[in-house]
Amino acid sequence: MRPRRRGIGWAQRLEIVALSGPAILVFVGFVIFPVVMAAYYGFYRWKGFGKPTNFVGLDNYVTILQDTAFHEALWHNAEILVLSLVLQGPVAVLLALLLNRRMRGQSAIRILIFVPYVIAEVIAGTAWALMLQTNGAANDVLRGLGLDAFVQDWLANPKLAIWSLMFILTWKYVGFAVILFLAGMQNIPDELSEASAVDGASFWQTQRHITLPLLMPTIRIWAFLSIIGSLQLFDLVYIIWGQYVASTAGTSTMATYMVTEGRNAGNYGYGNAVAVVLFIISMIIALVYQRFVLRRDTDGALTGGR
Amino acid sequence: MAPKKFLAVAAAMALSAASLTACGGGDDEGGDSSSGGKVEMSFWHNSTTGPGKAYWEKTVADFQTANPNVTIKIQSIQNEDLDGKLQTSLNSGSAPDIFMQRGGGKMAAMVEAGQLKDISDQVSAETKAAVGDAALGTGEVDGKTYAVPVSILPGGFWYSKNTFQKAGVTATPTTMEELTDVAAKLKANGTPIALGGKDAWPAAHWYYFFALRACSQASLDAAAKDKNFSDPCWTKAGEDLKAFADTKPFNDGFLTTSAQQGAGSSAGLIANGKAGMELMGAWDPGVIAGLTKDKKPLPDLGFFPFPAVSGGQGDPAAIMGGADGFSCSAQAPKECADFLNYILTKPAQEGYYKAFNALPVSKEAQGAVTEDYLKAVLDAYNKAPYVSQWLDTVYGQNVGNALNIGVVNLLAGKGDVAGIIKSVNDAAKKG
Repeated sequence: MRPRRRGIGWAQRLEIVALSGPAILVFVGFVIFPVVMAAYYGFYRWKGFGKPTNFVGLDNYVTILQDTAFHEALWHNAEILVLSLVLQGPVAVLLALLLNRRMRGQSAIRILIFVPYVIAEVIAGTAWALMLQTNGAANDVLRGLGLDAFVQDWLANPKLAIWSLMFILTWKYVGFAVILFLAGMQNIPDELSEASAVDGASFWQTQRHITLPLLMPTIRIWAFLSIIGSLQLFDLVYIIWGQYVASTAGTSTMATYMVTEGRNAGNYGYGNAVAVVLFIISMIIALVYQRFVLRRDTDGALTGGR
Repeated sequence: MAPKKFLAVAAAMALSAASLTACGGGDDEGGDSSSGGKVEMSFWHNSTTGPGKAYWEKTVADFQTANPNVTIKIQSIQNEDLDGKLQTSLNSGSAPDIFMQRGGGKMAAMVEAGQLKDISDQVSAETKAAVGDAALGTGEVDGKTYAVPVSILPGGFWYSKNTFQKAGVTATPTTMEELTDVAAKLKANGTPIALGGKDAWPAAHWYYFFALRACSQASLDAAAKDKNFSDPCWTKAGEDLKAFADTKPFNDGFLTTSAQQGAGSSAGLIANGKAGMELMGAWDPGVIAGLTKDKKPLPDLGFFPFPAVSGGQGDPAAIMGGADGFSCSAQAPKECADFLNYILTKPAQEGYYKAFNALPVSKEAQGAVTEDYLKAVLDAYNKAPYVSQWLDTVYGQNVGNALNIGVVNLLAGKGDVAGIIKSVNDAAKKG
């Protein structure tokens, strides 16, 4: 028996178990268990009817890593990940800086920016899919303005589709980043910017040398959430491009590949193996990011506090 | 990007379907009936609205009146949800006794897992006579019967007679050359061929029909057995399709056009006079009717079969189509087969035709058909030397999925004919 840490009596421990028990049970039942089952099914060739019997070892994984459709999906994920950071970050920082001061119509602008984030992905996806169709509203507006030269196949043209997707993603999720950054700016003491104003710094100099550096922890956390979201992007792509066209249009992701090759093809063993690959990739990126980027921000909370 | 609480959320969501299957148990609603005792059966179908739902309610009520010891609980499930729910309940041992069966590879997987009842000995002589061997064959696996068809849904071209007239088309095409000519006239008229490419399977159907003309019946059957698509006829089918697609006969943006949802879908374009025709299965009249401005059937709807293609080994009159049917789950009481025989009696089948506006499978009930286009379908069906099931049904979901992807890529100009064959052969590695 090692001596226990002082201060935790067994009554307290009972309290901890009683209070966190239900949450842990739910988490194990709905997250841990499915992940374990996915790993198990991933070793089988299984059609989803009855018990899996055809054990194929690592065959599914070999096939995935050799499949060009998967390589494409992985590449699209990387594109989306980088473009999300590059497009949303600066836009969100600028909007947050603007909204961080008293101005007219502030709340109206806030609502406009934040509403897309609140709308369900399926609804947003359906709306954009209808608007960006070849004979949809977007092209009609262009024709109405006499800009026929700009009429495009926004969704079906492989050169354009990824940019249409990025536009929709930016429209949808930039509000979330703005809210995070605004909250981060609220935590920056006013004295600092007052002091810099006294020292003769312009508004932009103040933002550049005071607000932004102090906002970095918030930006790093947002980037983390954005990266994880990019890796797991599924709903918008699936709604807008349907089950099969995403790979043709160049917007397929690992998650849509998983559904196409797993559920739609009835290859549940293979689909589970894809899920495991997606899980491992996300896990590695998340751990690396936490270890090297978030280390200072989360010292003590996640890294053992050494 | 959307923040997610846990890394595993995506995996968990995607796997929820699979993980549900792992939670066994559930109540077994089947159970053998002791003779003369009360029997209760559950019945799943996919008609959630209108005449279809009413038809099943009436049919079940009539059957219960004739068999007072049987009660049937009906559950109507949205078409798109049906397959997933069915799979979960079959795997958890709480399957409905009677349920809609789409046949093909999925049915074979159910049979292999021992989830379906062998009803070979319980199909009555009357049923056999009324339905005929060809149609009954759709419900057989290795010579045993596991499902009975209720309607036949052959594929072909559904067109608007008025639009054809406006475009200057006088006769329906019977050869590929004539079809290309018609397509050009329709395109010039601003009413092209509609294609729901977003859903992929309507595009794949084009390839199936070219394959039906290019490949002999024997090669189609051989490919179903060994999943080998190296016969040159598969390549010819792809080249025929590519040659036709190169004439740009389809509506603009067909890649992001869905098949059945809303006015902008391919069926909606036909319903609203924005397209001249589409290649589709015999469920199309009902879908088009639901998308017209007054929600009524299109008065000038016509049908013609897929034209002959020169140089192929398939019979130019062969047709392709599916058959929706019903199965009994393994634990279902014997009364389940009685119900299946009952829904194939003449009155039940005539009611089916009236409710669904689809061709009944029973030859006795086919006399009741009045619509021109259904008569045209029936005519093509009866003239056909053989009827192939939809190829994605025959070859199973896995190959069907690969065909979907390959054909869409071909039509989008991203892939080639060899790509279709390659993706189908690759699919064999995955399932």
